[in-house]
Amino acid sequence: MLSSKLLEVIKKPAPIGPDIDLSRYELGEPKIYSSLDVVDELNNITSKLGIEDTSKFSYIQINENAMYEALRNVLGNYGVKVVPLKKALEELTYAKDLVWRLVSPETDKYTAATYLYGGELGYFIYVPPHTRVPIPIYSCLAITSNKKVQFAHNVVYVDEGSEAQVITGCLVPHGVKEGLHIGISEFYVGRGAKLTFAMIHSWAEGVHVRPRTTVDVAPGGEYVSYYVIYSPVASLQTFPLTILGSDSKTSTTSVIAGSGRGVYDVGSKVLLSGDNSSAEVISKVVATDSSEIYARSDIIAESVSKGHVECLGLLLSPNSKISSIPSITSKKPGAILSHEAAIGVIAEEELEYLMSKGFKEDEAKSVLVRGFIDIDLRGLPPTIRYEIEKILDTIARNIVGI
Amino acid sequence: MLKVTNLEVCTGGKKIVKGVNLSVGDNELHVIIGPNGSGKSTLLSALMGLPRVKICNGSILFNDVDITYTPPYERAKLGIALAHQNPPSIRGVKFSEVVKNMIKHCGCSDFTIMSKMLRVDDLMGRDLFVGFSGGERKRAELYLVMLQNPKLALLDEPDSGVDVESLNIIANAINSLVKRGSSIILVTHSGSILSKLERVDRVHLMFDGGIVYSGIADEIIPLVFKYGFRGAVEKIKKS
Repeated sequence: MLSSKLLEVIKKPAPIGPDIDLSRYELGEPKIYSSLDVVDELNNITSKLGIEDTSKFSYIQINENAMYEALRNVLGNYGVKVVPLKKALEELTYAKDLVWRLVSPETDKYTAATYLYGGELGYFIYVPPHTRVPIPIYSCLAITSNKKVQFAHNVVYVDEGSEAQVITGCLVPHGVKEGLHIGISEFYVGRGAKLTFAMIHSWAEGVHVRPRTTVDVAPGGEYVSYYVIYSPVASLQTFPLTILGSDSKTSTTSVIAGSGRGVYDVGSKVLLSGDNSSAEVISKVVATDSSEIYARSDIIAESVSKGHVECLGLLLSPNSKISSIPSITSKKPGAILSHEAAIGVIAEEELEYLMSKGFKEDEAKSVLVRGFIDIDLRGLPPTIRYEIEKILDTIARNIVGI
Repeated sequence: MLKVTNLEVCTGGKKIVKGVNLSVGDNELHVIIGPNGSGKSTLLSALMGLPRVKICNGSILFNDVDITYTPPYERAKLGIALAHQNPPSIRGVKFSEVVKNMIKHCGCSDFTIMSKMLRVDDLMGRDLFVGFSGGERKRAELYLVMLQNPKLALLDEPDSGVDVESLNIIANAINSLVKRGSSIILVTHSGSILSKLERVDRVHLMFDGGIVYSGIADEIIPLVFKYGFRGAVEKIKKS
């Protein structure tokens, strides 16, 4: 019954973002390996994320091949499970109750396709109660062949009173021209728990990307999210939803460096469901070449709560476009919501100032762009902070071509 | 070192600097004094080559090289540094980041001594000039000039809007620049710093876009303090 309904859903374009003809992409048979050694030159893939030490990764998915093992023992010491979702569904009874609960397969053609054809690849991460995981949990999702579709269904459950950091890099190595990545993410943050999630995207001009994410934060929990994309894409459309229980909070920060002819339709939606919950949605977007960026943010207050949206854009090319679409909705007296949105160019006065200090024009622009995309990374462990800062440095240099 | 001939400078289609002639020798300290709007800052901007001002006539020679139309970063490379009167506040760009880049560019080795002299250590982690007090702003800007180890330092009102303590620190730094061999053109309209400088070689009185008098400090400064800029000009013309 569901399958027949999904077959109807799959025929319709999604409400937002350029439509994609799914039949143009090839899907192989999902395979699972309990070792990372099956992939040649793995470090060449992960180094694009600024992380050359592949031993840091707990889960790697190349196309439709899922690999896990690394760090299993270390994480196992804390009772943390990191396994392909397919395996979790076979072996862990509680995993079944967590899938397709926050994201419905009927949401749109991409969720429907993942449900029908994805083979439940993707990672399953479980952190037991009252456990502070001292090392980040790394995962990497890559497409290495042309015209491949990659499905990844990721489930993270951080149980009551626990704390974990999950870092996911999604990319194509150099040479891959076309592809489609569909990622379904369902994250659960338990009572008084904290999940810090950083996602770094580095795709290519012909790659379409459709993440679908919902995060459920239980009372007293906290969800901190960082999202950075610094490559061209054909199109990217994502509008993750975070649902906040009472006394919980979230902070989502996105840095979008648009280039090429890519369409970047990105955002963050927060439902302030419980009393005394709070949300901050920050995005910094920079458009170059002929890129189009749609920066969406939406905070809905259903309780006495607080929310703030900040969306800042920097337009660096006359052929590019930035559209900022902030929305705040209150359904509860006493909720305090605000938003701030601005789109500008590099200030001539600032450029001139740095040039008078001996910076060449491109160097000065790079310093100013780096300043613009600077984000507060204090919520991250030093190693990840350093890696993201390196990527932000790269963005600033690439944008001005130095 | 610097030879400015019949320089005319425009901003927004209006001529602000009108036929200025000025020569500055090696390790000389020149002061340009004049009322607000007399063209002092525009003159320094033109000497630094800032794009916001347009040179419509005349020439600038620096160590016998014509730099009239040379871009600012090349002038900086040649050894010219400008302390802006109102440096912009730049969010996201750390003061330390600019310092680090400038040390890399200029190869300055005694930056620690300078940072202590100008008391800027506590400012390093902050966004450039964002929320800086008047004194912090001037000290930080002068520190960046010192990092360039300039042959010619153009100091645009380093004494305006600062308290006595900062004024003393700034004066000490300028005296130090002179001892290190820099030539200096210091613009001021209040003259409050002059008594704290160990040496002033030449004072130029600028009025309505032109230098109307050049002489030694003891001749002109008392007249300015006594009669004001306009009165001083009239007295000089009569004498």
